[in-house]
Amino acid sequence: MSLIRTRRGTILLATASTLLLLLALGGWFLAKRQKASARGEAISVDALQGKPAPEFVLLDLEGRTLRLSDLRGKAVQLNFWATWCGPCRLEMPWLSELHDKYASQGFEVVGVSTEGEDLKPRDENGRARQRNAVREFVAEMSPDYPILLNGDSISHAYGGLDSLPTSFFLNKDGVVVASQIGIRSESDIETNIRKALGLSTQAHETSQP
Amino acid sequence: MNKDFTGMRIFLGSVALLAMATTCVWGQFVGGGLSQQKTGRTDAVEYLYPEQVTVPAGRPYKLTLHFRVAPGLHINSHTPHDEFLIPTVFSIPGSKQVRMLSINYPAGVDATLSTNPKEKLNVYTNEFILDTQIVAEPGNHLVEGKLHYQACDEHECMPPKTIPVTIDIIGK
Repeated sequence: MSLIRTRRGTILLATASTLLLLLALGGWFLAKRQKASARGEAISVDALQGKPAPEFVLLDLEGRTLRLSDLRGKAVQLNFWATWCGPCRLEMPWLSELHDKYASQGFEVVGVSTEGEDLKPRDENGRARQRNAVREFVAEMSPDYPILLNGDSISHAYGGLDSLPTSFFLNKDGVVVASQIGIRSESDIETNIRKALGLSTQAHETSQP
Repeated sequence: MNKDFTGMRIFLGSVALLAMATTCVWGQFVGGGLSQQKTGRTDAVEYLYPEQVTVPAGRPYKLTLHFRVAPGLHINSHTPHDEFLIPTVFSIPGSKQVRMLSINYPAGVDATLSTNPKEKLNVYTNEFILDTQIVAEPGNHLVEGKLHYQACDEHECMPPKTIPVTIDIIGK
């Protein structure tokens, strides 16, 4: 009897310990998730890979509405940038060049200005100031693709956009096939564009599109 | 036999408790590590000192503030070369007891990045100081100044940020 009680006690203790261990692990993961959520990182940039890009509706500089789903059927580079971001300025001519090169194959670049100033919803003056800054910047850089305003309103859905530039490359079904934070080279961007178009990414610099 | 099982029970219990403790410590360590890494990237600038200063009440006093920019990052100086870049600005908003009469920003360092050798930036890196002239009323004032900046590294930029600069100013 004593033996059974002892054995049962051991099993109970082991089971309880395992449960506690699982609870501790669960608590740790939950705490980690909450921490990330509190920092506005509900979805990481990597987590969007292989998923449909979150839908949005934004205005361009002329006040026209652009809906992401309107671009379904085209491969898209969604490029989040800001007027104060040097690397963003550097890559803008590259994007125009690559847009030209691949447009005939159904490729589109969409620039989304993301000034990151946390304007209050009714701060019309702040919004007007941002719009003017973007307008001046675009006039100077002359990108040959549409520029949308107020990317901050969709930053959460796109991983928080803690660094710029950040680009998402969508295939013709609107699925994110690659993402890129920061710049390295024009060639890196082209590789991702070709991935979005379903083209070979081997030695693209010398190959014809 | 009973002794064997009791021993086994104690052994298993100890192993389980040890595993739990290890998990908790590991969780704290790894979770904290990630958090710190993230904070390190987001908080590009850290206010160093002074935390407390005693000044002659009612008379101008030169207060020097020390800051550090995280390794590998730079922030624009107060006078960046490009109009679109965000300058570093310090302010003491909303304090009637402590007023900032003037501020001297250090000259930035001209720098080019390997990704864009054509563009010359004017930046602060490593440690930098701001020389301010303040006047404080008599008494103990917990002042919250604000440093507004925008940081980048070689390849990417972080959104503009304002950090608190908390100083206990005692006017005597």
